[in-house]
Amino acid sequence: MKVALFATCLVDVFQTNVGKATVELLESLGCDVTFPKGQVCCGQPAYNSGYIRDAKEPMRHMIDTFLHEPCIVTPSGSCATMFKEYPRIFADEPIYAKKAQLVADKTYELTEFLVNVLKVTDVGASFPHRVTYHTSCHMTRLLGVKEEPYILLEHVKGLELVALPNAHNCCGFGGTFSVKMGTISEQMVDEKIDCALQTDADYLIASDGGCMMNINGRLHRRGDKLTTLHIAEVLTQHEGV
Amino acid sequence: MAIQFNEHHFNDNVEKNVHNDFMRGAVASAQDHLYTKRLDAVEELGDWEQWRNHAQEIRQHVLEHLDYYLHELAINVEKAGGHVYFAHDANEANAYIRDVVRQKNAKKIVKSKSMVTEEISLNDALEAEGCQVLETDLGEYILQLEGDKPSHIVAPSLHKNKDQIKEVFVEKLGYDEQNTSEAGELARYVREILRDEFLAADVGVTGCNFAVADSGSICLVTNEGNAGLVTTIPKTHIAVMGMERLVPSMEELEVLVTMLTRSAVGQKLSSYVNIVTGPKHAQEVDGPEDFHVVVLDNGRSSILGGDFEEVLQCIRCGACVNTCPVYRHIGGHSYNSIYSGPIGAVLTPLLAGYDDYKELPYASSLCGACTEVCPVKIPLHELLLKHRQVIVEEEGRAPVSESAMMKLFEFGASRSPLYRFGTKVAAKAIKPFAKDDMISKGPGPLKTWTNVRDFPAPKEQRLRDWFETRDKGGNV
Amino acid sequence: MEQTQFLSTIAARLQRTANTTERPIKNWQHRPNAQHDARMTNDDLLTTFKEQCTRIHTDVVEATRGTLQQEVAQVIKNYGGPVSVWDDARFETYGLTPLLMQTLPQHDIAVYTWSNEKSREQNFAEANISRVGLVFSEYALAESGTVVLYSAEGAGKAVGLLPHAFVAIIPKSSLLLRMTQLSQLFRQRVEAGELLPHAIDYVSGPSNSADIEMKLVVGVHGPVEATYIVLTDC
Repeated sequence: MKVALFATCLVDVFQTNVGKATVELLESLGCDVTFPKGQVCCGQPAYNSGYIRDAKEPMRHMIDTFLHEPCIVTPSGSCATMFKEYPRIFADEPIYAKKAQLVADKTYELTEFLVNVLKVTDVGASFPHRVTYHTSCHMTRLLGVKEEPYILLEHVKGLELVALPNAHNCCGFGGTFSVKMGTISEQMVDEKIDCALQTDADYLIASDGGCMMNINGRLHRRGDKLTTLHIAEVLTQHEGV
Repeated sequence: MAIQFNEHHFNDNVEKNVHNDFMRGAVASAQDHLYTKRLDAVEELGDWEQWRNHAQEIRQHVLEHLDYYLHELAINVEKAGGHVYFAHDANEANAYIRDVVRQKNAKKIVKSKSMVTEEISLNDALEAEGCQVLETDLGEYILQLEGDKPSHIVAPSLHKNKDQIKEVFVEKLGYDEQNTSEAGELARYVREILRDEFLAADVGVTGCNFAVADSGSICLVTNEGNAGLVTTIPKTHIAVMGMERLVPSMEELEVLVTMLTRSAVGQKLSSYVNIVTGPKHAQEVDGPEDFHVVVLDNGRSSILGGDFEEVLQCIRCGACVNTCPVYRHIGGHSYNSIYSGPIGAVLTPLLAGYDDYKELPYASSLCGACTEVCPVKIPLHELLLKHRQVIVEEEGRAPVSESAMMKLFEFGASRSPLYRFGTKVAAKAIKPFAKDDMISKGPGPLKTWTNVRDFPAPKEQRLRDWFETRDKGGNV
Repeated sequence: MEQTQFLSTIAARLQRTANTTERPIKNWQHRPNAQHDARMTNDDLLTTFKEQCTRIHTDVVEATRGTLQQEVAQVIKNYGGPVSVWDDARFETYGLTPLLMQTLPQHDIAVYTWSNEKSREQNFAEANISRVGLVFSEYALAESGTVVLYSAEGAGKAVGLLPHAFVAIIPKSSLLLRMTQLSQLFRQRVEAGELLPHAIDYVSGPSNSADIEMKLVVGVHGPVEATYIVLTDC
């Protein structure tokens, strides 16, 4: 199956390991992965800050870049959600509305793609560690992908999954919120980290680069010993059990 | 503006309140408690999404036909022997109520909890007339003793602990210092005091959870039973309602009351749901001889028919407040408005303008928790986003530096060669600030990020470069 | 403000002229409550009702017409007097008059009957010093442990609010599942042009509040305790 990787800017520039793991994972499951070079940012930072007009240009560019791909997969629930929003954003531009719908319809968040399209629940990974999972808000609430990451993690050999207390609370990223409302964001990420530490897990797993960058940055600042991993990075582990 | 508490900037209020450990602990434990209670109540009812859809369509139908239903309500209130007054704004509402109070030569007024009378500062208006106005909802009463303001639309004194409340009682009510600060003992003490006040009251003022158009009824939802007493003992009852708070008939009332009590406190029904139709009948002894309904616009009509109309679907259950991770840390007073939390962040700028409230729509990570719990399906986080768009694109109130950055973003991100070049150059530019692959003191715009947390150093090789050159080879 | 002007402003925002004559058509696409139709037997309803009452700090006593007098006497004995009651023919129907008019007074328990022959103030004063307020429920809702009271000539609302304990007599046949069923009845009455009682009060247990540190306090402005007496053969 031919799959176009929508890497997201965070993964392209900062979290390349996540991108590599995603490619490796998809290829190990028989996908033919491509990387459309024209891809830029999905426009979310500007869009969520109220700059809808300014966000539209990169969005049009993304739509055109991915329009003819058969299937689009991204390791980010939030960026996938942005693609799904495109048709609404372009509702009053008939040509782009149509194109946006085509793009939105074939866009999948990684775990959603694995479980619902490839119908894989056991990717053959093993990761003998105690972990907890952070549910990203956009992925669970807006995209509606809730169970898929848990299903995949449950099938990882040796992995012990501990429930994260107050998992429903946002980690405080929220794109520009994290810098515009730094004080509030700090309280939120601190509580998220405190909850994660309570689980005694060695790893905090997430499916979104934004949340990871936020949580990891704060963990690093605080000096806490907890490692964040993207779910793609876990699903490509083959540690002996 | 009566909605507003103080003159401070949003950020200053936030800085102050995040250091209020008691408040934060109280809010967090209330949220955690209500989270489970609400979920249980939702689960128990079953078919929740269908209930939400139904509640939403009822609210939208009413807004779409608001003129008809208000007219019908007025006819039926009068048919039942009551009076209806349509108030354009706070001044008109207060003036009408003052006139009723004057006519009755009333001195003592008891109130049950009502956000809309907070909104119009009715108490101030009546006190200026020389009346004694008493809030009888326990939480409101506690706040009134101290001149404090509500921090939650359902649990107004959520930010105070029992020891603080005891202190207020000792100071203001002569509560014995030796008595405990146990909630039950405090509540019983107030019960005794307020009982005498109820019995002496001339006028009862209530809000209105819902008005029923075809029967001319007013529905009041409480647990304390104070609305029952307020509408039973005084000889005059004045109900003040936001003009959108009505339903066509008792059948729709039932749906919304179900959604309200389950969403607000996880109860199947609150202890008291009082449905009042007109004044008491001729041979009856208690209940008001005179019944007035004040229908208030106060900025609501300008929301109707616009981009924010859905906010008028609100039934003031507070579920969004109880789930909001931002409210959780900053508390209600940070919003500097009687309407706090997500609903406050949407509604306050609409009722009171952007001048004082342009920060509120940004006090959200757009996590969507509010939208998910809203029993009438108001897309709260989308309305917050809409506010941001209006602030940026229509009002031109965004900071210049931010606008410039977004322009640059648009220019760079829409052109892939530029984007590719930009990500490479920016990466190189910030690289020198990194230590162990992390940046703790970022330059320029990164500083606001690194004030709180470290920033990852960009990788030597971007994913796209790796993909191009890896063994398997690139493509496209 | 003029009502006409007020409604015109609204209509203008809705981009049309004011409509006060043509009843809007309700075309609901979702009817979740239709599935909540009561197909439960009265016994099922009573079980649900009793179970819910355990969660709302309310005692339930079951009685038959034969044992009602005795059960009411016991409840009153537990709470103590005085007792406030409605001026209501059902006391006679259910054979409670001897208890209220003779037995209790003989045992020095005062019984105050709500009456429009007394002043408003006197009625309130009597209810206010009563330990028990004894009323009849028109309907009871199993799901929420609710009794539904109507105000009427002899049925002072204050009897259910001012005394220390709230005691309601409920014929088992008046049990409904939830508000849904009752609301349909009310809508039909309204559509038939009937004026509703001045007050319809849904009461579910004693008054309570969680305004102080979210701790539930039972007994705030209204009753501190509550007992429902279900007449199982009525």
